[in-house]
Amino acid sequence: MQNKSITFDPNKKKGAPFMRRITKDRLFALALLTPSIIVTVMFILVPVFDSVIRSLQDYRIKNIIAGTPGKWNEFANYMKLFSNNKLLPSIETTFIFVGGVVLAQFVLGMAMALVLNSNLKGARFIRSIMMAPWIVPTIISGLIWMWIYQPQYGLLKYVVGIFSAGRVTDFAMLNNPATALLGIAIAALWKQIPLTALLLVSGLANVPEETMEAATVDGANAVNRFFHITIPYMKSIIKVTTSMSIIENFKQFPLIWTMTGGGPDNSTSTLAILSYREAFVSNNLGSGAAVTTIWMLLMIGVVILFNIIFKETKME
Amino acid sequence: MKKKQIIFTVIRYIIVALILLFLLFPLYWVLMTSFKENMEAYKFPPTFFPEFPTAGAYMKLFTEDQYFFRYYINNFIVSGSCAILTTFMAIISGYALSRFHFKWNKWIIAAFTSAQMFPVVSRMISLYGLMGKMHLINTRQGLILALTAAMIPFTTMLMASFFDSIPKVLEEAAFIDGAGRFKILFSVIIPLVKPGILAVGIYSLLMTWDDYLHATTLIQTDSLRTLSAGVSVRYLGELSYDWSLVNTISVIGIIPMLLLFFFFQKHLVKGLVQGAVKG
Repeated sequence: MQNKSITFDPNKKKGAPFMRRITKDRLFALALLTPSIIVTVMFILVPVFDSVIRSLQDYRIKNIIAGTPGKWNEFANYMKLFSNNKLLPSIETTFIFVGGVVLAQFVLGMAMALVLNSNLKGARFIRSIMMAPWIVPTIISGLIWMWIYQPQYGLLKYVVGIFSAGRVTDFAMLNNPATALLGIAIAALWKQIPLTALLLVSGLANVPEETMEAATVDGANAVNRFFHITIPYMKSIIKVTTSMSIIENFKQFPLIWTMTGGGPDNSTSTLAILSYREAFVSNNLGSGAAVTTIWMLLMIGVVILFNIIFKETKME
Repeated sequence: MKKKQIIFTVIRYIIVALILLFLLFPLYWVLMTSFKENMEAYKFPPTFFPEFPTAGAYMKLFTEDQYFFRYYINNFIVSGSCAILTTFMAIISGYALSRFHFKWNKWIIAAFTSAQMFPVVSRMISLYGLMGKMHLINTRQGLILALTAAMIPFTTMLMASFFDSIPKVLEEAAFIDGAGRFKILFSVIIPLVKPGILAVGIYSLLMTWDDYLHATTLIQTDSLRTLSAGVSVRYLGELSYDWSLVNTISVIGIIPMLLLFFFFQKHLVKGLVQGAVKG
């Protein structure tokens, strides 16, 4: 880190012509960057831009098969989404899902991180084995939880039966519109808490011990120390972990698609599910693109809002 | 004071125990179910340890099933190629971003940062048409390229942060000795960022192993399907699931990445933490 001030400028010593050296550097850097730029532009930026255009067209799978271009349809895709009342419930579901998972993930991850950071026996070992769910492929984590939630012989049905003293005997998490989203959120948390906890633990290491001790001597209690010392020192890592988890859950598709497919009764139909259904189940690519365009705008809005909030709290 | 400390310690252990139970019990449960006979798996109330442990479901999968291992091998080919391609591109581009500060850098970083946020479905909608035109749809190469593109932004920036921590004096010295730019990069600098290369490689392997959406939309031929896409098409019925088979598949699907992770954990964790802290 301390070498940042040293500039890579050997031409001073060699006395080579200034222009030639810069030009060569530029060509070299450009050559190294080209492959990444090409794939990013070709497979990410162009498709995203293209999908925004498609959202304004009547464009279906049959257009691809027949090779006919999409037709401008005067915002019909957007109007239909609003008029048939599919979009707004999806936006609501997405926000509930993202908000709930991000918050729960932060609280549980932070709890785990704080405990692991204290001089707990076996903390290193726990830190290592707790990462296991993070490695499990998303589809498989969906299957694992579906098996636990299984309505006839699932483990959860049994556990709920015991805790309710036999009163609830037909608990089916994913088949009930009231609990299906919660069921998916639990599976999402299961896979995501390990990484959050890990990153937060590494952030806790940056909190200076002397400051903590000084505050203890001054009579600050644990809660005060946490909010006035730990949190401010961890601001940057908290910002990164939270924005990562917002983006990841906003984009969450495979888990929901495997576990419920958006059902029952559209109770888990987030924007990701709605766009996929419109585009690849109803074969209406234009309509799906309209959903993803709105989705992107919402996500950009959330990220900007998030950055503003974090900047303002820095002022304090 | 002493009493308070004891209570505090007890609370700490309870928190850890509960979270660990939540994180690890499902894995135990899947493993146990995979060793149960179908009759026992469907028993209610469930048994917490198989009464008659059997590897029957594994035998069945290994000997009778013709699909699973094709998907499995495809997944190795696809995510292996993606990891190699991604790592190579992240090394050279990360180096360029870290060492040469030209005006375009901030545009590239802006493009990379936003590229990470775009929903995959929106890319799939147009890639479906665009790749059709390029004759890349329904090919392994197309899937590999699309997945690599998805990995490039994060891995390149992660790699750049590793190059940032290498002193520039080394390059200056090599330059004065008359070494060329490529030679400096490949024989002086790259050996120094080996931990970063490992972190990037394993991270991309893990992430592409997990892919579902790319493979489901871009591949239609069954023999080219990857693990997640194949499993969800072949083994997840609308109403009934063969649960002991599904649990066996889950276990086998997890094992390679779990081994890889625990083997290289130190490098990967250090790399990810460094990448996250630098943002």
